[in-house]
Amino acid sequence: MKTLTIAYKESAQMLRSQRGLLWLLSFSGLLSAFSLLLVSNTELSLLDNAQVVYMMSGTVVAAGALLAAILGSDAYAGEKERGTLVPLICTPIGANVLLTGKALGMLIAWGVMFTLATPYLWAVGASGQNLGAAVFYLALFGTPVVLGFGYLAMALSARTGSVLASLLSTVTLLMLSASPLLVGPGLRGTAIGRVMDAVNPFAGALNTFDSVIIDSQPFSAQVGRLVLVFAWLGLCLLAARRSAAHPNFQ
Amino acid sequence: MISIENLQLAIAGKEILKGIDLHLRLGDTYGLLGPNGAGKSTTIFAMLGLRSYKNGQVSVLGHDPMKQAVEIRRSIGVMPENAGFYDWMTAPAYLQWYGRLYSITQTERDLDTLLDKVGLGSENQRTIGTYSRGMKQRLAVARALISYPRLLILDEPTNGLDPKGRREIHDLLLEFAAEGITGTLLCTHLLDDVDRLCNRIGIIDQGHTRLEGRLGDLLAGQGTDQHYRLRLEGKPNTANLPAGFSLLAHEGDWWHATVQFKNSKEPSALWGELWQRGWRIQEIRSETSSLEELYLRITAPAASYSQEVTK
Repeated sequence: MKTLTIAYKESAQMLRSQRGLLWLLSFSGLLSAFSLLLVSNTELSLLDNAQVVYMMSGTVVAAGALLAAILGSDAYAGEKERGTLVPLICTPIGANVLLTGKALGMLIAWGVMFTLATPYLWAVGASGQNLGAAVFYLALFGTPVVLGFGYLAMALSARTGSVLASLLSTVTLLMLSASPLLVGPGLRGTAIGRVMDAVNPFAGALNTFDSVIIDSQPFSAQVGRLVLVFAWLGLCLLAARRSAAHPNFQ
Repeated sequence: MISIENLQLAIAGKEILKGIDLHLRLGDTYGLLGPNGAGKSTTIFAMLGLRSYKNGQVSVLGHDPMKQAVEIRRSIGVMPENAGFYDWMTAPAYLQWYGRLYSITQTERDLDTLLDKVGLGSENQRTIGTYSRGMKQRLAVARALISYPRLLILDEPTNGLDPKGRREIHDLLLEFAAEGITGTLLCTHLLDDVDRLCNRIGIIDQGHTRLEGRLGDLLAGQGTDQHYRLRLEGKPNTANLPAGFSLLAHEGDWWHATVQFKNSKEPSALWGELWQRGWRIQEIRSETSSLEELYLRITAPAASYSQEVTK
């Protein structure tokens, strides 16, 4: 119950604030521009339908992880800087309840983004065969990846007490993780690239999208990557629980 | 209600609390005094289980903060120093939300009554972001009271307020204390707050409790010096002064004196005695309160001792 009370505040703060509305507007603008390019640009319009859905799914996860990094960084350090953290931790709620409430608020924000992205995915991929799989795997793999980045940002936010330090660290890691999306198969073909793929949850999600959307592979082929993204989520959760037990509040 | 013995606490390897003793009993309004950085807020956080301590015995409402922090916080209303609010909420919405963290559901009428009591009844449709500092302090008092606490902990509740605002917060606290809150810990460096509200004090400095006891006993028992400024007509005879009376300096007609009152001696008796000795006193001004004298003496660099007057 208290978890829901915290989550209510977190999501209301996000969705009612100018910052939240600006984020959703920017996200819609990004997806609109992407969709428009896919149908109007001569070269992009020649892309295979499945390839387009794959690219858009990766973009949605990247944007979701960035949002999680921002919200997670603000979760403890932002509250501390605004002077609202101490009144919160003086109430009879346990550290894990507060953490779970904040994570739930983040999950709601991701849910809103996911809902917003679905019509765009439908718009660019309705004529293909794998739209349903794309939506399903976006939820299944995207959610732990996004939530993992959120937990990591919360861990850093609670430990450092600084929004800037937490945000910079998490976004740097996010950019490193997302590099396979940018550098393409060149790096991924090398031994280093293969090791990175094996331990990088973001790459795990992208490779799954590639596998199921473009190559139409079955769920059984994705189990290893599913373990990877949930292991990532588990590690980040542990780090967040450890930091949130003794947050930097003074 | 609170019993702390020899609390020692370090943060990042630095010793912050080196020996804190604090005893707050049922019905007490306890003033925890000390200069900035003395360890007052850290002591409060240790009591709430928000800071781990390495040594000492701490019991708050019969609970151990290291093991039963949630139980302690359930029964305590806290007004932290410089605590903020969610500026986008209205005061009733905020209090309702905050009450839910204590598993308390407030009706609209309950909230209106509480806001009326703290003088914010007519402002309840505005978002908190539009409130003045004084209004936010009042709302912070309401927040501390939302859970009907047995013990109220207030950290610098009148900091930054003008004299009128301070007096209003004092009146509120006195009113709520009379309504049945069974103990109040007031943490401040403003002696006027303590003078008006507290029956018991503790003075901490550099992480040590320097003095603790009933305010009246401490002032009487310590034979506290008081400073006065006397305007005299003509030059007085300074050769033979009454016991406990000593002159510090003089500027024109004004003479600075320090007076050490014995247990039963009244100031008026001393002035009468001086008059009889030929001192033509035109005007008397008290320069410091006796509590201020006590506080300055205890927190002076040389005061490295610990005293326990009345436990």
